[in-house]
Amino acid sequence: MAKRNQPKNGLNKFTQRMSKKLAVLFVMILVAFAFLGARLFVINRDNGDKYKKRVLSQQAYDSITIPAKRGDIVDRNNTKIAVSQKVYNVCIDSKTLNKDDGAYIESTLTSLFSTPVEFSYTKDELRSYIMANPGSQYRIVAKKQGYEAVSEIMNMVNNPSMYPDFKGVWLEDTYVRQYPYNSLACDVIGFVQGDNEGAYGLEEFYNDTLVGTNGREYGYLNDDENLERTLKPAQDGKTLVTSLDVNIQSIVEKNILAFNEEHRNEAREGAGSSNTGVIIMNPNNGEVLAMASYPVFNLNDPRNTDNLQVEVELDPEQFGLMNGILDGNADLENMDDAEIAEAVRKMAEVENQDAEETPSEPAEEQAEEESTDTGTANIDINVGGDDEGNAPADSDDPYAGLSYAEAYDKAYEEAKMEALNALWKNFCISSTYEPGSTMKPFTMAAGLEEGILRGDESYVCNGVTEVGGHQIHCSNRLGHGTLTFAGALEQSCNVAFMKIGGVIGKSVFMKYNQIFNFGLKTNIDLTGEALTNSLVFDINTMTPTDLAISSFGQGFNVTMIQMAAGFCSLINGGYYYKPHIVTKILDSAGATVETEEPRILKQTVSEETSNKIRELCIGVVDNGTGKSARPAGYRIGGKTGTAEKYPRGTPNYVVSFMAFAPADDPQLVCYVVVDEPNTPNQAVSKYAAVLCRDILTEVLPYMGIFQTEELTEKEAEELAEKQQEFSKGSAAEENTEEVTGEIIVDANGGAEGQNEQGENGNSNSNGAITFVDENGNELDEEDQTGRKVEIDPATGYAIDPTSGVLLDPSTGAPVDPTVTDLQ
Amino acid sequence: MSEQEKPRKKKTKYFFDYTMLFIVVFLILFGLVMLYSTSSYEANVKFEDPAFYFRKQAIASAIGMAVMLGMMFLDYHRVQKYAFIGYAVSLVLIFLVLTPLGYEAGGARRWLNLGMSLQPAEVAKLALIVFFASVVCKFGERIKEKKGFLMVLGAAVPHAVFVLLITENLSSAIIIFAIVFMMLFVATPQYKEYIIIGVSLILVAVVVVLLVKYDVIPASVSYRFARIKAWLDPEAFAADKGFQTLQALYAIGSGDFFGKGLGESIQKLGYLPEAQNDMIFSIICEELGLFGAIAIILLFVLLIWRFMVIANNAQDMFGALLVVGVMAHISIQVILNIAVVTNTIPNTGITLPFISYGGSSIVFLLAEMGLVLSVSRSIRLEG
Repeated sequence: MAKRNQPKNGLNKFTQRMSKKLAVLFVMILVAFAFLGARLFVINRDNGDKYKKRVLSQQAYDSITIPAKRGDIVDRNNTKIAVSQKVYNVCIDSKTLNKDDGAYIESTLTSLFSTPVEFSYTKDELRSYIMANPGSQYRIVAKKQGYEAVSEIMNMVNNPSMYPDFKGVWLEDTYVRQYPYNSLACDVIGFVQGDNEGAYGLEEFYNDTLVGTNGREYGYLNDDENLERTLKPAQDGKTLVTSLDVNIQSIVEKNILAFNEEHRNEAREGAGSSNTGVIIMNPNNGEVLAMASYPVFNLNDPRNTDNLQVEVELDPEQFGLMNGILDGNADLENMDDAEIAEAVRKMAEVENQDAEETPSEPAEEQAEEESTDTGTANIDINVGGDDEGNAPADSDDPYAGLSYAEAYDKAYEEAKMEALNALWKNFCISSTYEPGSTMKPFTMAAGLEEGILRGDESYVCNGVTEVGGHQIHCSNRLGHGTLTFAGALEQSCNVAFMKIGGVIGKSVFMKYNQIFNFGLKTNIDLTGEALTNSLVFDINTMTPTDLAISSFGQGFNVTMIQMAAGFCSLINGGYYYKPHIVTKILDSAGATVETEEPRILKQTVSEETSNKIRELCIGVVDNGTGKSARPAGYRIGGKTGTAEKYPRGTPNYVVSFMAFAPADDPQLVCYVVVDEPNTPNQAVSKYAAVLCRDILTEVLPYMGIFQTEELTEKEAEELAEKQQEFSKGSAAEENTEEVTGEIIVDANGGAEGQNEQGENGNSNSNGAITFVDENGNELDEEDQTGRKVEIDPATGYAIDPTSGVLLDPSTGAPVDPTVTDLQ
Repeated sequence: MSEQEKPRKKKTKYFFDYTMLFIVVFLILFGLVMLYSTSSYEANVKFEDPAFYFRKQAIASAIGMAVMLGMMFLDYHRVQKYAFIGYAVSLVLIFLVLTPLGYEAGGARRWLNLGMSLQPAEVAKLALIVFFASVVCKFGERIKEKKGFLMVLGAAVPHAVFVLLITENLSSAIIIFAIVFMMLFVATPQYKEYIIIGVSLILVAVVVVLLVKYDVIPASVSYRFARIKAWLDPEAFAADKGFQTLQALYAIGSGDFFGKGLGESIQKLGYLPEAQNDMIFSIICEELGLFGAIAIILLFVLLIWRFMVIANNAQDMFGALLVVGVMAHISIQVILNIAVVTNTIPNTGITLPFISYGGSSIVFLLAEMGLVLSVSRSIRLEG
């Protein structure tokens, strides 16, 4: 369309030649463009994938992680027992600070140090660090500061226009785990270590639930759409609602502590027991209301070793020889051990001068052999080398090639970790022991349920019986004489129970061990439950002696939670609930995402048997060995236990008491185990019984369970005294005040009004059952007649409670055994 | 008959290159979109205002459009009179950078504060295009002689040298020299001399590169040598001189064929320095992919083709040479910019015309476009 005009002036016109050269230029430009286009293509083709990854990887490298808030743990009343608190790290960007020839270093440092933040460095250290590291863009200079401390810095960081001289500083969010009740329920809760990783207890078991998902921020937060897209918010962890009750837990811990203080240094140095464990459960749903053991540790400072006894024993002679300390000494042969030890000790002192936490005379320290459960660890090190004093050649020796100081430190660290691990583990689920006489109700239940025992038997105890060639003594070596069926349990007669064991036989006994979960885990929702499958008898190798002693709870091991869960089923009508602690899981907004309903795993015994066992256990407290466990104003049932520990013949015992309360309608099961009470004679189950009574005395009124029995004058006096003591104690004792301060025990007020009501309720609700407290025989007879009636709804004997299936009236066994396999 | 008479009766019809106007407007608007996408993150971080760069660029573009329209309706012959004055003034402006009027930004003293910020190098480019178009016309046949040729070429030396020495702006010096070189190439019939000059320049460059590569010249002598080393192996200097180039390559490479989508660049989020300036083309590659990048290159090719058409049809030699100068300016900048971004040549600060951030640049570029459109308007259509 456009054509060139006729030339007016040859010189002043764009010539053909120029036009041609312009075309050449254009072609050259086109070639350049084509080349660059090809270059773009090649970059994409050859390096596209690589660069894509680079972009993503450096993005991950430079981006900021937004930590997710770890979920809280609360008790049944929503009292927070573990919370995550937002805190801030103050970070320094040296690169930014070094810009403009470091003009803002001074002003920034001055501003920083005028705030109440506690820095990890001094101002001078920080200045020299910034100068020396101009390339560094990230350095935490103050860790885990609270909001108040950093609020000024936050203001300066967020308003750069108002603080132009403040540069190169930013705040990093993080969370710290806090336990408002310090050591309360420490074994159950567990703690958090390292990178938000739960250790022990609920923190570990529910770690995945609690931890949440970290978010990422690829830039700064603002309202701009582009940037908001690059923000992936953190998903906060979920909250655990537990069945624990802080108040009950503190009552339990307070009493455990009191017991251990009372008996401190009584028979040996140290606390009142090697360990004391208490579990309180609701037998009607398997919820754990309290679970505690002794000693405790502060969850906010789990690695504190102040209260730990860490002892290290090194063989000085071996060390001396190994390190050639004594090589120059020609008189080695003539030195006695003490001299060698002295020489090495001197050497070690020199080497150890800088070492922290090192006892001054390590070589001489002779550690007492003690159980690791007390938090004491004792490591014997036989350092390399043989008796001839040759240099150690064994490469497996972990201490080979170390100097005395290094070996000592290493051994000390190991001993410390062992002590801490022993401290952290939950005695109630992780430690196994022989249950002793608390097993007896289980043995009886097996016999009754199978119809082998009728409840009208009588036994003669002369203090000893011979089984399988072994003379096995009763606790009462003089013998109990003639005992009724109930009397055998009330007096906890081993001879009677060996006879019972012999009657029911090992196959029935072991069948019921299985039914009660002995040898299996209860699968309670806590980390660290011990597996006891190798600690129970194998039916194929079980001897008559084994059967005899296991019928009264010796010879095989259980965990506390196994016993407590089994006992719950024994007294609640035969329903075995899975013991559990978490009842609900809430999301970060507080909405319920999961509810842990009570789960009946199986029917262990019939309701009839359960009722019978309950009556027998009430008899134990009313008439037998458990008298001292009865809290004033209440009627409870229970069973004592005194188990001899291995090795036999040593004076070490585990004493225990297992109780349910109130007697007619059990609302809680309290199981107390005292391992090696620090008393001259350990074999006194009263220690556990009294501890149980003390706990129940406070817990029952707290739970709103009213007194049913009339108080004797003495009891009323004691109770009043106790209350006074309690109110005084809470004011005086700093430690327990925090824990127990909120509890209001209203024993007196509740007592009078409820007596009548309770008694009425007693006769009404229990219909046919009449408690013939004083007379065990009568009880048996009634039960026997009850069994002859084919269907008796009042006792519930002949009708299976879960399925309504008829039970065989002659044996008491279910007609349809499938109901026991609800799992 | 009457049909044939009609056009005669009418006034002479003049051509107007709507194609080119459209391309320019499109590039400006596209540039603003890309600039906002690229700079909003950094603007927000630095100034707490995501539109900081965008607003400044939009204002400069508006001023530039007004200037372009003004120039378009102006008879371009009138600027011929001011050719020498422009030459002198632009030289003075370069010197003014040394006075308190000059100011520093981004580590280099290249700007003048005359109420609004002004980069003398941009003025020099326009001034020299006008000056050489005028001089070549005046020299006429004499330019074909060696003496005349060298005299004309020599006239470009002061600007190139002072831009290099005073403002330490090598890239602008190269562009100024290249514009003059290309204008003369078109204006003179020779090939041999240009081939000799071109080949010898390439040889010098190769020798320098080799010397630097094998450390005969230590890279510490000048940051430019360090840049050459970084160009040869950007990964080895990833933390320092090679950082920007490498980040640009990451952006290009991660874009794929259709890109991540407008606004979806990751590299602009603080990883690629000067993303909105010299490196904007790599963000185009990342967001719009190879497809978008080639489309932009084709737009520039189209624009350059229109320059050629206008130059070939210009009413007179002065107009034609003006267009050739602008064509040289824009094509050399596009080529060098993309070459830098793709690490084809060592890193040196060259902006992408119409798209990169830079107020002076856009105003003077649009002024040049106004001149070209003015030349196109003077083309008489045969009736």
